[in-house]
Amino acid sequence: MDPSSRAAASTASSGRPRDALRPLSDFPVGLRVLVVDDDPTCLKILDKMLRKCLYDVTTCSRAVVALAMLREKKGEFDLVLSDVYMPDMDGFKLLEHIGLEMDLPVIMMSADDGKDVVMKGVTHGACDYLIKPVRMEALKNIWQHVVRKRRNELKELEHSGSAEENDRQRRLLEEGDNASSVNEGSWKNAKRRRGGKEEEEEEVEEREDPSTLKKPRVVWSVDLHQQFVAAVKQLGIEKAVPKKILELMNVPGLTRENVASHLQKYRLYLRRVNGPQHQGRLDTPYTGSSEATFHSVGSFDGFDLQSLAAGQLSPQNLMALHSVPGRVTNTSIGMSSVDQIGFFNSSVEISNASNMRPPLMQQIDKKQMNFISGPPTSMESRQLGQSQQLVQSYGSMGLQTSEGASGLFNLPSSQRASTTFPGGSINANLSNSLVMQMTHQGPQFSLSQQQNQIHISMPQLPQTRGPIQNGIAGEHDSRLSTTIAQILPNDISSDVLGSSGSNMNVDTSLPGGYMNASSYGSVSHALYADFPNSCMNESTGSCYPLARSAGATSLTSTGMLQDVMPPVGNVEALGSSAGLKGAKDSVPNYDLFSELHQSKSQDWKLQNINVSYHSAQQLGSKQSNIAFGCPSLAHQDSIATIKDGSCRNTCTVRKEIFSVRTEIGHEKGECIAQRNSTILLENSVRVKAEGMSDHSCQDLLFDDNIIPDELMDAVGKKHQEGVVQVDPELSFDGYSSGNSVARWLPPNDATSYGLLQ
Amino acid sequence: MEYSSLQRQVAYMKKGLFDQGYLDEQFDELEELQDEASPNFVEEVVTLFFRDSSRLMANIEQALERCPQDFRRLDSYMHQLKGSTSSIGALRVKNECTKFREYCDQEHLDGCQRSFQKVKREHAVLKQKLESYFQLLRQIGPTERATRSGS
Repeated sequence: MDPSSRAAASTASSGRPRDALRPLSDFPVGLRVLVVDDDPTCLKILDKMLRKCLYDVTTCSRAVVALAMLREKKGEFDLVLSDVYMPDMDGFKLLEHIGLEMDLPVIMMSADDGKDVVMKGVTHGACDYLIKPVRMEALKNIWQHVVRKRRNELKELEHSGSAEENDRQRRLLEEGDNASSVNEGSWKNAKRRRGGKEEEEEEVEEREDPSTLKKPRVVWSVDLHQQFVAAVKQLGIEKAVPKKILELMNVPGLTRENVASHLQKYRLYLRRVNGPQHQGRLDTPYTGSSEATFHSVGSFDGFDLQSLAAGQLSPQNLMALHSVPGRVTNTSIGMSSVDQIGFFNSSVEISNASNMRPPLMQQIDKKQMNFISGPPTSMESRQLGQSQQLVQSYGSMGLQTSEGASGLFNLPSSQRASTTFPGGSINANLSNSLVMQMTHQGPQFSLSQQQNQIHISMPQLPQTRGPIQNGIAGEHDSRLSTTIAQILPNDISSDVLGSSGSNMNVDTSLPGGYMNASSYGSVSHALYADFPNSCMNESTGSCYPLARSAGATSLTSTGMLQDVMPPVGNVEALGSSAGLKGAKDSVPNYDLFSELHQSKSQDWKLQNINVSYHSAQQLGSKQSNIAFGCPSLAHQDSIATIKDGSCRNTCTVRKEIFSVRTEIGHEKGECIAQRNSTILLENSVRVKAEGMSDHSCQDLLFDDNIIPDELMDAVGKKHQEGVVQVDPELSFDGYSSGNSVARWLPPNDATSYGLLQ
Repeated sequence: MEYSSLQRQVAYMKKGLFDQGYLDEQFDELEELQDEASPNFVEEVVTLFFRDSSRLMANIEQALERCPQDFRRLDSYMHQLKGSTSSIGALRVKNECTKFREYCDQEHLDGCQRSFQKVKREHAVLKQKLESYFQLLRQIGPTERATRSGS
């Protein structure tokens, strides 16, 4: 868009002529807002109010039309205001869609001020929730959500590793900035404006470095990682230095720093992976491991691994996910994490793992596939396969982990759905994405949903089980401003239960199915789903909400989930079970899981992720477990943010995990959630670098010493085992030889964290 | 003279509407939105409201007749109506809507029917009153209206 046309456009829309260089002080003037409300009276009033705020308003009375408009004119809107109750599409679903596909901040509105509904908004990733009748004062400050989101994205950029040029990402960001800068015409102006805005913001928050905004991020794709591993092997792990690796890899655009940080992670991963090997578990044949896995699964409390195993992560599921339009953030995120895990797993010669895989795969069945598939859709098919494998491997890993899982369950479900595999946690930041964090103890997935918008304030994260629900209407934690409106492409008629589901990440976007989805095919997922709930419970102090949300999530997974599981059934059971509260909720998890398992078409609601954000915040120490699982992730800043497709997912996963951790026990959820959402969003090029916060999170984690040593050990072991058992086959194709692209370095113990630091 | 008398009448009428609970502060919000760019904003919104709400109420009426047991649908319609009424500050109507929804929750068909009649009544009364109000306003020049501070 050339300056003149933009200026003209802005003039037309805002009624004021704009110079290319608009004074920075003008912001938020010209903020491009899309208002969606089926009530013409409200629409007219909102339109007028927003114009009075000097925003650039576009109104729409149909959600479907609004979504089409957003898709068509990506980057032309800064913020979306949407009613909750609309005839053609549920507002939460729209929320999820937006979070997934466009990653725009979304503010929900409704005359309904019931706590349940508001919580739902939060969990689905809404940035904010306004009660009607909306007053001017409320609208005057909505621009903050845009700024917040953008800042987080920029931060991620800054902190992401340098390396490959990510024009698209940058452009998106800049475009976004353009939007906020009100139709700034030229690129230059936009940049300048953004830089200016950054400076402005610097007053409030420092470390906004315009020059770093454009730092390209490295995306450690499977290929790249493969090359990396090959180079390392050639040099010998002892002698592998970044400079030489770089030379051997001979990848243009890759810097020594990129390689160095990646190497560090890789080393940690190897250390972790090789450690447990000596324990002898790695040597156990698949059957053995599988048995072990099953055992551990069984220990969960009747969790029926077998049933999980029955589900097969079929390529179809993945493909189904693929088909999901837009960014299946949930799945993608999950995938990314899975991929990462797969990476790690593959690197280890884990024959056992491969054995385990099948069971996992089964679990990952459609329902879960959604979760996983999400990413694949956006990712290349190769990755898809890989992610599948990863998921599988993770699944097995999760299974392997085991008995001690109870603690894991407590994993707070950060708003993002991040499944933390032994290697790490796949954070599906989708606003609704469920953050499944697998903790060592067992596949613990903290489903965190987030709403993309409202910042996790959630719409985080909702985000193979059936098609991923596009709109994970999750309740997003309003606190979490990350409105990861990751709405799964699939149309999920989220009839998200009204039950506040709020806490439940799962609830948020994922209809019951989602919860399942988050637990990708693996029981662990289900368990994790519970975790979020349980986590939430802990934080919220009420099991019920979790249960409800869990149920709700399953219910909400409309559309996507083919067999929506009886939502509330399990969830509520879960909720009621005190277990949810803490790590002891293994039972509930199982229930949830089994339910999830049943419901095939659980859409992965990103929103769930959002929720998880919220819950993550609320989660207390228990959550730390989750975070613990992926200390390596914490420092994944260097991990290239996902720039495109495949790599992205993995990257996000890392970040997700990181953020998840932070969230645990800390009020960093917001940052993380936002970040996660970014990461998870497959299409969202912007990978939210979890830079600073990541570090802080990590520090927090360590400082708080959240994870009890024994747990850590248990987790560590489990991770190792899990990792070890991951069958190379599970990993990406290229990694069958044992090379993994990206290893997930699950922190085995506190030292891992230390290392990460 | 004429102006101030009219203005006084308008102010008086408006005050009456507020005092009797027909309108609430949201109506003030609307008036504040009125400016040079949209000098008849409030009237436009109110007109739009009555048009839309009549449609909604017809739907409710129909639903009550045809599928009275579908409380969810009734509730959903009424929720929409409530949203509209609250956005223009139609307090009394809104309150009746709330009561109707309560009956819906209780699945108290009879209560719903009665409550709905009240909603209709309040709706009609408000419409009438606001029509007079705007008629009076029109007699005052637009500038007067625009500069008139909310009383």
